[in-house]
Amino acid sequence: MEVLKEKVEEEEAAEREAEAEQAARKAAAEKEESILDRDDLIDLEQKLSEIEVHIPEVPVIFTKSSIDTSALPESYKTNTAQEKQLLKVADNFAHQYSHLCPDREPLFLHPLNECDVPKFVSTTIRPTLMPYPELYNWDTCADFVSDFLTMVPLPSPIQLPEYLFSPTSVLKYQKGNCFDFSNLLCSMLIGSGYDAYCVSGYASQDICLMDLTREVCPLLRKPEEAASQKEKVVPKRYTIKPPKDLRSKFELAQKAKKEAEIAAQEEKKRKEEENKLLELDKPPPDPMHGLRIHAWVLVLCGKREVPESFFIDPFTAHSYGTTDEHFLGIESIWNHKNYWINMQDCWNGCKDLIFDLGDPVRWEFMLFGTDKPYLTMADQEEEEEAADEDDIEILDKEEDKNFDMPLSWVEQIYISAKDFESRCPQGRKVIQYKQCKLEKWAPYLNGNGLVTRLTIYENADCRKVVEVKEWYENREDFLEMRRVDKTTHLTTEYFKPGHFLALREHTYKTMAPETDRSMEFYYDTRVDGLEKRTETPNSMTEYYKDRADYLVYRHVDYGIRLKKFSLNSPDTNPRPMLKITERFDRNLSKLADDDVAERIFVVSDERIQLRYHCRDDYITTSKREFLKRNDVDNKGNKIIMTPDMCVTYEVEPREHTKKLLFQYEMMMNLKNEEKISKHQVWESELEVLEILKTREEEEDTHNLTVSIYDTTRNEKSKGQREALERQAQEEHMRQVEAELDYLAPFLVQLPPGEKLTRWQALRLKDECLNDFKQRLIDKANLIQTRFEKETQELQKKQQWYQENQVTMTLEDEESYLTYCSQAMFRIRILEQRLNRHKELAPQKYLALEEKLYKDPRLIEYLKVFV
Amino acid sequence: MIRLYDTIEPNVIDEELLKLAVEEQGPQEEAGQVAKQEGINFKDVRSLQLDFQNILRIDNLWQFENLRKLQLDNNIIERIDGLDSLVNLVWLDLSFNNIETIEGLDNLINLEDLSLFSNRISKMDAMDTLVKLQVFSIGNNMIDNLLNVIYLRRFPELRSLNLAGNPVCENEDYKLFVTAYLGDLVYLDFRLIDAHTREAGFAKYQYSIYELKHRENQMQNKLEEEKANIAELEKHKAAYVEYLNGSYLFDNLYSDDTEAAKLAYLPGVPELLETYKTKFVSICQNIFDYGLIQQEKRTAEVDLFYECLGEALSDNRDLGLKTINEFEKKHVKMLHDIRNANELQVVDAKMSECAEEISHLFDILMTYEMQLVEQLEESINNFERNIIDMVGTFVENVQGLMAQCRDLENHHHEKLLEISINTLEKIVKSEFDEDLPDDVRALFSDKDTVVNAVGASHDIHLLKIDNREDELITNVSNWCSGIVDKVHTDEHNRNRKRVKEINQYIDHLQNELDNLDFGDLLD
Repeated sequence: MEVLKEKVEEEEAAEREAEAEQAARKAAAEKEESILDRDDLIDLEQKLSEIEVHIPEVPVIFTKSSIDTSALPESYKTNTAQEKQLLKVADNFAHQYSHLCPDREPLFLHPLNECDVPKFVSTTIRPTLMPYPELYNWDTCADFVSDFLTMVPLPSPIQLPEYLFSPTSVLKYQKGNCFDFSNLLCSMLIGSGYDAYCVSGYASQDICLMDLTREVCPLLRKPEEAASQKEKVVPKRYTIKPPKDLRSKFELAQKAKKEAEIAAQEEKKRKEEENKLLELDKPPPDPMHGLRIHAWVLVLCGKREVPESFFIDPFTAHSYGTTDEHFLGIESIWNHKNYWINMQDCWNGCKDLIFDLGDPVRWEFMLFGTDKPYLTMADQEEEEEAADEDDIEILDKEEDKNFDMPLSWVEQIYISAKDFESRCPQGRKVIQYKQCKLEKWAPYLNGNGLVTRLTIYENADCRKVVEVKEWYENREDFLEMRRVDKTTHLTTEYFKPGHFLALREHTYKTMAPETDRSMEFYYDTRVDGLEKRTETPNSMTEYYKDRADYLVYRHVDYGIRLKKFSLNSPDTNPRPMLKITERFDRNLSKLADDDVAERIFVVSDERIQLRYHCRDDYITTSKREFLKRNDVDNKGNKIIMTPDMCVTYEVEPREHTKKLLFQYEMMMNLKNEEKISKHQVWESELEVLEILKTREEEEDTHNLTVSIYDTTRNEKSKGQREALERQAQEEHMRQVEAELDYLAPFLVQLPPGEKLTRWQALRLKDECLNDFKQRLIDKANLIQTRFEKETQELQKKQQWYQENQVTMTLEDEESYLTYCSQAMFRIRILEQRLNRHKELAPQKYLALEEKLYKDPRLIEYLKVFV
Repeated sequence: MIRLYDTIEPNVIDEELLKLAVEEQGPQEEAGQVAKQEGINFKDVRSLQLDFQNILRIDNLWQFENLRKLQLDNNIIERIDGLDSLVNLVWLDLSFNNIETIEGLDNLINLEDLSLFSNRISKMDAMDTLVKLQVFSIGNNMIDNLLNVIYLRRFPELRSLNLAGNPVCENEDYKLFVTAYLGDLVYLDFRLIDAHTREAGFAKYQYSIYELKHRENQMQNKLEEEKANIAELEKHKAAYVEYLNGSYLFDNLYSDDTEAAKLAYLPGVPELLETYKTKFVSICQNIFDYGLIQQEKRTAEVDLFYECLGEALSDNRDLGLKTINEFEKKHVKMLHDIRNANELQVVDAKMSECAEEISHLFDILMTYEMQLVEQLEESINNFERNIIDMVGTFVENVQGLMAQCRDLENHHHEKLLEISINTLEKIVKSEFDEDLPDDVRALFSDKDTVVNAVGASHDIHLLKIDNREDELITNVSNWCSGIVDKVHTDEHNRNRKRVKEINQYIDHLQNELDNLDFGDLLD
C-alpha cells in the first residue's frame, strides 16, 4: 500500500516536474514569441489578408413555388381545344424530328407554365406595344428588359428548362432565366413592329452566365474619332521654293535609320506587353463549351428599317452580328406565329447560318398556313422536298394547312409607370465590368439625386479605386456629374445650364478659398462673359469671351499676405496684388498701333506695360512702358511728366504720340483703368467666395426638383389637387345635407341645444307630416284653380266669339282659333298634372313618413313607438 | 442789324489770336502745364472757339487739319471762305454774322451740324456735298420762298431744322409744307413734330409729293442704269476690246467716209456692203470674245500670283513673329536678372551676353528676310515671264484676226472697184439708166476720179483698222509692263520697310540696354 502510495507520489512528483518543465518551456516560448512578435504579426497579417472568406452566394432561385398561381386567370390554368390540338401537332412534329434526326437534342416546344400546364412556346409570346415612347426602339427596349429583370441561371446549364413562365409573371416577380428574358423582350419587340424571334441554342460561358467582367463598360468606351483626312495641298505655280537644305544628306539618313530602329524596338516591346495583357484577359477554357444552353433574340432585317439581321443578348441588351463568335449554335427559333428548326450545321458557330426562313432545306417549319418570310423557292422544289418526307407528314401538313397558331394565353403585358421609372428591381442594380463597377439607381431613390455611379479600378482584381464617376438627376443645383480622381484627389463637378451662377464645371481639391481650383462657366449667360477662372494659392486667371471691350484674359499674381495683428479674416486683409495682366482681342475699328493687345500693371513696381497688336505686314509690335513715379524735383516742385517716364517703341514713329501731353493723358487714363481692374479682381475674389459658400450650402441640402408634370411627386400640386378634391366633396356633402334637411324649419322652433324629448319628437314628426300634407293639398288646389281659370277664360272667349261671329274679320277669327288651340293645350296639360299629382301625392307622403322614421335625429324616439 | 464799321476796328485772325484761343481752350491744370511746356501743335487741336472776336474774314485756319468743331459765331463775317482745308469738320457754327449767301462749304463733307442762324441769307443753296448733315439751323434769315425747302430733301440724315424768324414762316402753310416735304424730319424749330401735323401735311401735299418722288425715282433709276453701263464698259476696257461687240467698229469705218457714202448708191453695192458688214462684225465679235477670255485668264494668273505671294509673306511673318516672341521672353528675363544683380562683374557679363543675343536676333531676322527676297525674286521672275508670254499670244492672235479684217476690206475694195469701173463703163456707154444724185454722178466723170475715190475710202478704212489694232496692243502692253513694274516696286518697298523695321527694333533694344546701364550707374 505504501509502495503503491510512494509510487503514486513518485508519479505525482514526476507529473509535477513535467508540469513545471512544461510551464517553463511555455514561458520561454512565450518570451521568444514576444521577441518575434512584430515579425509574426506582420506575417500573420499578410497571411490573414491572403485568406479570403467567400460567402457562398445564395443562388437566386425562381421556381414555380415562388409564384402565387391562385390569382391567375383561367387561360393560364387550362388549355383550349385549339391549344390542345396544337400540342398534338407539336408532339407529332417532335416525333418525326427525333425519328429523322435521332442524334439531335430534343426541341423546346411546350414547357410547363407556372400552373403546370403545358403551353406551346409560340403562344407564350404576347406581342404588346408599350405605351412609353422610350420603349419604341429595340435598343432602349432591350436595355429596359435587362435592367428590369434579375438574371436567374438555368437549373442545369446544359439542359432545357422544364418551365417557361408567362411574361406577366416574369414582370411581376422581376426575375427570370434566359428564356424568360427572351420571351419578354421578343413580345415587346414584335409589339413595336420588329421582325423578332426567340432563339434557343448554345452560347459561350460569358454570355450564359452574364459575366461582363471581361467586357469594357459601355460608359468608358471612347467614341471612335473620325479620321480626319488632310487634303494634300497641290503646289501652286508661284509657291516659293523652300530654302536649300545645306545639311549633309548622309548624316541625316544615318540619323533617321537609328531613330527608326529605336522606334521599331519600342513598338515591339509595346506589342509584347499588349499581347501579355490580352492573354490575361482571355477566359479560362470552359469544359462545357458548346453545350451551354442559352436563349436570345434574333431580329431579322426588313421591318422597321432594320438594315441587317442581328442578335440581341437579353441579359446585357448588347447587340451582336449574326456571325458573332459568342453564339455557338441554334436549335430552333420561334415567334408568335410559327416555329422553325435549324437544319443547318453549326460546326462553325452561327457564322455560316443563313436566315432565310422560307427555305425549307435550311429551316424546317412546323405550321404550314402561316405567312412565311422570304418565300423565294419555287413550288416545284417545295414539292420535291415534301416528297422526301414521310407520307404521314404530308398528310399532317395538309391537315395543318388551315391550322393557325392560336392566340396567346398570356394576359396583356402591363408595366406600371412607377415600375417603368424605377426600372431595376428595388430601383437598384450593380453590374461588374472589366476593371470597373457600375451601379444604377432609380431617380428620386437617393436623397441626393444619385442615379449612376461608376467606380474604376486600377486593374482587374478591383482592389484599388482609381476614379469614381457619379451621375445625378433632378438636382436643384443642376449638378449633372461628379468625377473624383482618387490618384490626384481632384474633384470635378459638371453642371447643366440653368444654375444662377452659370457654373459649368468646377474642379477642386478642397472647398477652402485661395487653393487650386478651376471653374468654367456658361459664358453666354453671364453679363461679364467669363468663360473660365483658374486659381492657385498665389494667382488667379480669368478667360473671357465675346466682350464689348475685347478683354479675353486677366491674370493676377498675389504676394504673401502681410501679417496684421488685428482681425485676420480675408475680408479685412486681402492678399496684395503684385501684377495684373490683361489681354485683349483685336478691335478692328482701331488702328493696330492704337489697339492694346496686352496691358500689365506691375503694382509692386508702379509700372505699366502696354503691348499693342501687330500690324498685318510687320513682325514687331509697338510697346510702351510707363513708370508712374510722382517725384519731386530738386526745387521742390512736383514733377508732372518727364520724357523718361515713358519708354516707347513704335513700329512706325508717329508725330502726335511723341507729345508729352499725349503720354500724360494716356498715363492718367491707365491709372484709372488700373483702379478699375483692381476693383474687378476684388469682385472676382468675392464671387469665388460666394460660389464656394453657395455650393457648400447646396451640397448640404441637396434638394431635388420635381417637374410640374410629375403628379405623384410634386408635393405642391398634389396638395392643391387634394384640397380641390376635398373641397368638391364637401360641397357635395353640403348639397346633400341641404337637400335632406326637411326637419330644419321645425327644429328651429324648438329651443336650441336641448335634447329632444320623445313627445317633442313625436310632435315634430306629426308637424312635419302635416305640413307636407298641407303642401301637397295646396299644390293640388293651385293646379285646380289654374285649371278653372283657364277653362273660364276659354268659355268667355267662346262666348264672345259666338256673339261677334258675324262682324268678325278674317284675321280676328284666325287669332281666335289659335288662342283656342293654345288654351286647350294648356288645359290639357293642367289636367294631366293634376292627375299625376293625385297619383303621386300619397306615395310621396308615405316616403316622407318612412324617411322620418329613419331619421337619425328622431329614430330613437320613434323606434319604440313603431 | 447794323454794325458801325467806323467805331469798331475789325479783327484779323492771326497767329497770336489763335495761340491764345488754343491755350485757353486746351487742356487744363496739370495737363495744361505739360501742354504749355512743349507747346500745342495746331494740327492736334480738335475744337476751336473764336466767338465775339469781331472777325471780318475767316483766314489762317489751314493748319487745323484735324479740327472737328469750329465756332465763329457773333462776329462780322460777310463771306464764308478759308474753310477748304478743314475736311474733318463735324460742327460749324457761323451764327450771328453778316453772311449773305451760302458758299465755300463744298469740301466739308463730314459736316453734321451747321448753324447759320441770324444772318442775311435769302436762299438755301450750294450745300450739295454735305450728305451727312443732321442738324441745320438757318433761323432769323431772309428766306422768303417756301419752295426753297425742297432743296433740303437731298439730305437723308437731316433730323432737325430751324427756320424760325424767316419771312417764309409767316406763310400759314409753312409748318405743314415743311413736315410734308421733309418726311424724315423729327424736330422743326426745336420742337418735336407731332403725328397730327405730319398727317395733316401729308394729306395736304400728298399728290405733289408723289409726283416729286416719282421724278426722283426716275432720276435714280436712270443714274443706276448709266452706272451699270459704265461698269460694263469698264469691264470691256479692262479686256482692251471695248466696242468690238457689235458693229461699232464697222460703223466707225464709214462714219467719216463721204466717198463710200456716195458709192453706196451704185447698184449692187448695198448688198455687197451688207455681206461685208456681217462678216466683219462676226470677226469683231470673235476678237471681243477672245479678249474677254484672255482677260479672265490674266486676272486668274495675277490672282494666283498674289495668293502665293500672300502665303509666302504670311509664312515669313509668322516665322519672324515667333522668333521675336521667343527672344522677348528670354530678353525680359535677362533684363530682370541684370536689374537684380548686384555685382558689377555679373552685370557686365550679363550685359555683354544680352548684347550678343540682340545681334544674334538681328542676324536671324535678316537671314529670314534675305531668304524671302531670294525666293520671291525667283517667283516674280517666273510670273513676269508667264504674263509677258500670255500678252504676247493675245497680241498675236488679235493681230491674226485683224489681218482677217484687212483681208475682208481688201476683198470688198476689189469688188467695189469692179462695180465702180463697170458703172463707169456703162455711164460712158450711156447704158446706165438709173438715177444717181448729182454729186455721185460727178464722180464718174473719168476713171481716175472713180479709182481715187474708191482708193481713198479704202485707205481710210485700213487706217481705222490699224489704229484700233495699235490702240489695243499698246494698251495691253502698257498694262503688262505696268503690272510687272508694280510687282517689282512693291517687293522692293516691302523689303526696304522690313529692313527698316528690323533695324529700328534692334536699335530700340540696344538703346534700352544702354539706358539700363546708365540707370544702374546712377543708382
